[in-house]
Amino acid sequence: MSLLFWGTATAAPPEDAAAIVKRAIDYWRDVSSYSVIDMTIHRPDWERTMTIRIWTRGQKESLVRVVAPPKDAGNATLLLDNDMWSFTPKINRVIKIPSSMMNQSWMGSDFSNNDLAKADDLIEQYTHKLLRTGTHDGRKVYVIDSTPKETAPVVWGHEVIAIRDDWLILEHAFYDQQNVLVKKLVTSDIRPMGGKLVAARERMQKLDKPGEWTEVVTREVRFNIPIAAGTFTLSNLRNPRE
Amino acid sequence: MNRLPLLIRMAWRNLWRHPPRTLLILFAFVLGVWSIVVLAAYGRGALEQQIERSIDNLTAHVQIHATGYRDDPVIDHRLPPPGPALRTALAQADVTAWAARVRVPAVVASERESAGIVLVGIEPARERGLSFIAEAVHAGRYLDADDDPGLLLGRKLAERLETGLGRRVVVMSQDANNQIADRGFRVVGIFDGSPEAMETGYVFIGRATAQQMLKLGDSVSELAVLASSRDRLDGLVMRLRAASPESDVQPWTTLEPLLVLAEELSGTILTIWYLIVFTAMSFGLVNTLLMAVFERIREFGLFQALGMPPRLILGMVLAESVILLALALTVGNLLAGATLLSLKGGIDLSAFAEGLEMFGFSPIIYPMITAADFVTANVLVFVLGVVACLYPAWRAARYAPVQAITRI
Repeated sequence: MSLLFWGTATAAPPEDAAAIVKRAIDYWRDVSSYSVIDMTIHRPDWERTMTIRIWTRGQKESLVRVVAPPKDAGNATLLLDNDMWSFTPKINRVIKIPSSMMNQSWMGSDFSNNDLAKADDLIEQYTHKLLRTGTHDGRKVYVIDSTPKETAPVVWGHEVIAIRDDWLILEHAFYDQQNVLVKKLVTSDIRPMGGKLVAARERMQKLDKPGEWTEVVTREVRFNIPIAAGTFTLSNLRNPRE
Repeated sequence: MNRLPLLIRMAWRNLWRHPPRTLLILFAFVLGVWSIVVLAAYGRGALEQQIERSIDNLTAHVQIHATGYRDDPVIDHRLPPPGPALRTALAQADVTAWAARVRVPAVVASERESAGIVLVGIEPARERGLSFIAEAVHAGRYLDADDDPGLLLGRKLAERLETGLGRRVVVMSQDANNQIADRGFRVVGIFDGSPEAMETGYVFIGRATAQQMLKLGDSVSELAVLASSRDRLDGLVMRLRAASPESDVQPWTTLEPLLVLAEELSGTILTIWYLIVFTAMSFGLVNTLLMAVFERIREFGLFQALGMPPRLILGMVLAESVILLALALTVGNLLAGATLLSLKGGIDLSAFAEGLEMFGFSPIIYPMITAADFVTANVLVFVLGVVACLYPAWRAARYAPVQAITRI
């Protein structure tokens, strides 16, 4: 993020940090969306890329389906609120991801199942505070510190999110409770897609493992589109109809 | 019968004809008796500790569950809170303590790691004196109330999760509606447990907090009951079954069959050990007495020629063995007693702690001798010893006087 220049801390920022975060999440999810992404999982001795199609509606419904490579094609994940199901064509079974597996890696990537299922907890389970503002490409950037509430099911000590004033999330850093940075999501390659500006490249990096990261590149995205009624159902998870 | 003192006097003198030989066999017997008693005390102590600890580690004496919970300890198998009938049954004098618990499988996660555990929702005040947890918190504090928002984490688990006192962890499980239930908890206390599986396998929160998190209403998973004695629980179990006919009331012997097995196994091993030690000793004893008999053949012939009946010769040899055994048992028991007294502080086996942990033994074993073990060992050695000596005595008694005297 060399383009990012942090400004000096502003005294008593007038902006409502919670509202900014909500706007950013709403902008990211939109009313509904359909996207095709390439997810690259990089490890020191191997790297692989999967092509994935994603449908979302509102904050609570998502369907994720792998289309390439052939080895993984057909693997799918359905998210309804906090519940998560996975379908594997090789065993032709739908499995409800139990709570015990929510912290595990999603399809071997640096994202956990929780990262997918709980992305919008950010609105309800945190208190937000504007740390400072900066600029990026000539636009204002809000740097917001989000601390999970006492009983929030979140392990992080706090998270620092950089949101541009056109509601693009530029950076999302996860700190542990000792205030040590654990992992960081950085977005780049901002360009218009599907009728609005999108950060087409997101990279999740764990700080203690520099050689390991997962990068998501958006190839195609459409927002605010009608989505067939039966998309977010278990039967569609098992028998794709799109 | 006034011949008995004479027989004993002769037997005593005969014994000390060859002091080294007698002392040697005496030493062998003392060693044997000592090893039997000390080993019995050691085995009994280890076993007793294992049972007491298991009872302390949440087992208690009697547990009440919903039917099916023991086969599949999930949230679906739950109990209503104890009703008036059950409360009356639990209020009797033979119940020292009881508490309700929520107990479900769950996952605890920190920033870096997560681990599968059993989540136990406890009533902190009632749990005092019932299980180990109230006394086990070594850093931070114990839970204050049923709805305490804090969580108690085992020392080893805290290390594994790379978290600690005052930090937050997330607990995930399944709620009563089969939805994922998750909640953040602040670690308010770190507890020690033994074996280590108690530290890594259990996480404690307040009962009401657990019920709220898991949408249980006022249902619980188990009632744990501590009786005044862990033996003869039948009456209590029957009474609780009658008071709560729809649930599954079981004593610890059913809940922990492995412990009962260990108890039986250790009894069998001790008996086998007694027999091995005794067999080795008895060969020495029989040999010694046979030697003593053989070198006195002429003497026995003379006794008989002078009119001593064979049964008295038999009696005299037996008296020698009885004196020998009595001496050995006295000295052996005294030595064993002294040894056990000196080991009162426990036998420290910390060097092998890891291996012992695996079998549920604690690294420090406090030997314990019961009257039954003591009497068994002594009676066994004495009776079998006398039986073994029948052979040399019988040999001594059946020499024909003429042949015995003329034998060179």
